[in-house]
Amino acid sequence: MSVVEGALVYSNLLAMLSIGLTITYITTSVPNFAQGSFAIFGSYISFTLFRMYSTHPYFSLPFAALGGALLGVAVYLFILRPLIRREASGVILMIATLALDLVLLGFIGAYSEILRAITRKSTTKFIFTPYDFELFGFSGIFFISTLVMCLLLLFLLVLLYRTKFGVALRASMENPSLAEVMGVNVEYTRIFAWTLSGALAAIAGCLLPFRQEIVPATGGILIVSIFAASIVGGISNLSGAIIGAYLIGFSESFITYNLSSIFGTSILLYSRVISLAILVITLVLAPKGLASVRWRKIWKSLLSSLSGSGSTQ
Amino acid sequence: MEIIAVIALWFGLYAIVSLSLNLEYGYAGIPNFGRALAVLIGAISVGGILNRILIFYFGVKGVNIIDASGKVKTLVNGIIANDPLFGLFLLVTSLIIAGVVGALTGALFILPSAKLREDYLAITLLAISEVVFMISNYDVDIIGGYYGVSIPDVLAFYAGEERIYLFSLIVLFILALVYIFLEKITNSPFGRILRAMRENEDVVKAFGKDVMILRIKAAAIGSAIASIAGALYSLYSVNVIASSFARVEWTFYPFLMVLLGGAGNNKGVLAGTLTFVVVKIFLTMYKHELRELLHLPFEAVWLEYMMFGILMYLVLLYKPEGIFKEKPIFTKPLRYVVAKFRSSSESEEI
Repeated sequence: MSVVEGALVYSNLLAMLSIGLTITYITTSVPNFAQGSFAIFGSYISFTLFRMYSTHPYFSLPFAALGGALLGVAVYLFILRPLIRREASGVILMIATLALDLVLLGFIGAYSEILRAITRKSTTKFIFTPYDFELFGFSGIFFISTLVMCLLLLFLLVLLYRTKFGVALRASMENPSLAEVMGVNVEYTRIFAWTLSGALAAIAGCLLPFRQEIVPATGGILIVSIFAASIVGGISNLSGAIIGAYLIGFSESFITYNLSSIFGTSILLYSRVISLAILVITLVLAPKGLASVRWRKIWKSLLSSLSGSGSTQ
Repeated sequence: MEIIAVIALWFGLYAIVSLSLNLEYGYAGIPNFGRALAVLIGAISVGGILNRILIFYFGVKGVNIIDASGKVKTLVNGIIANDPLFGLFLLVTSLIIAGVVGALTGALFILPSAKLREDYLAITLLAISEVVFMISNYDVDIIGGYYGVSIPDVLAFYAGEERIYLFSLIVLFILALVYIFLEKITNSPFGRILRAMRENEDVVKAFGKDVMILRIKAAAIGSAIASIAGALYSLYSVNVIASSFARVEWTFYPFLMVLLGGAGNNKGVLAGTLTFVVVKIFLTMYKHELRELLHLPFEAVWLEYMMFGILMYLVLLYKPEGIFKEKPIFTKPLRYVVAKFRSSSESEEI
């Protein structure tokens, strides 16, 4: 897999995860610290199907999506909604998702060992790259992840701009209390957001083993990149999540790879430092993310200052 | 008998960390999801900084820090065995380095997000903590990565079975100092402005206080204290491996102890810590028996994660204020008013 190809695949997966994170943040206003573990949950669904029934991971995508959707809905209905009903503060909700992350980690870890006992094969680490196909010199995951991403974008565009539910969803994203007054059922939009987020995370998790090795704790490492992508783009903006995902995805693989030819391979360890640096710079310069920046205004002021300095000469 | 020492040691270490978190989260309202970072910084202060100073001072040659730290450990242990005062000197020096470096990193890493809302703050602090953890785990040149580095035994003159008793006494002594210090500052005007900031930042701003400076101060003090706990832990285990400073152990568990005991109440946090530590130590001690008893087909650590995760959720749902509720502050004038009110109501009753 070439570097650009790998970066694109990674960015596609990151985009699915950060779209999910953003949509739940917009509707429920809680950043989901368990999003990384949601993905690993999906990885283990496809891994189980692969080991038990030798299903190719690409064919297990619908099952992973279904499992992830169920997990997402369950998390909202049985974990977050009772807390929201008790008027828990934002921090309490965040700590709850942190607790959920730990429970999921424990569950996935325990499950991986049960799976090992059943299949009598190693299950602590796995990777799907050897089972991938190749087409026109590109890896299969490149086509599949791009295809999934395109379908997702199409789905979101049609849903948000062509359906009544989409209008209601956008309204409750913009202003939840006003939307509720106008008769939008905020509860439905939240359930939808968590379903979509869980399904997307599981799909990304199902495809992730084609690019990197998976262990039960991978989710904890992944979460840094997901948050970086969402915040850099603007955590309350769906298009921002996509921009942020490609920016972070490329900087983590492509930029680090190019830096390694200058500074040596030891810099590869620092790939996530780059996304962290981008995150910190964004927070300082544009705390609401890239999508909120008025580029046209900046461009105009830049032009006027340039022409201003030109006229004085 | 030894189990009491183990409980005392872990109670001491965890209590220092959760008290520091209580200052930041319970009093100042900073959701520091990167508590583990400060503890790791304490370990780096001992394993990375103090070790290098010793290596330089004694002119020890080694292929890398892992090798050199092993050689310097043998050398320094020999000196301490004959001269306990040098051990004491090393202990105090480590704690001072850890405190200073911890305060600096705490203040530095909250800078980018000190002005932001609490969810951004929590995400950024968690991200920074995870990234530093990952680097120290993979880069063998900081504290030896996954090989770890050796650390001189400051109690080398007291080697043997009884070492843990003496060490837990030292940890409890430091805990007492930390507790007194935190009780003093949380009952001072500074402590009261922190609580005011937690409740309503705009009011604090209206009174002419800079919220950013307050946050930076609280984070610096909190991180310095947590870093001291990290240094103590490293000195106890006489080696440092980055992987033992993971998010679960040093961010999530302290949050659990603070919320279990009662955020904003130092006494409550101590009670929460003791409850947690006793449960955890018994779980770790009897993990094999537990595994056989429940016929678990997996390691007990996964069960521990699920259990403590669920416990945290139950606390959040049913008792978010903890075992001990936060108490109102009794300042001198207030105490006077209350005493007067009581005496007048008593005289009315008569």
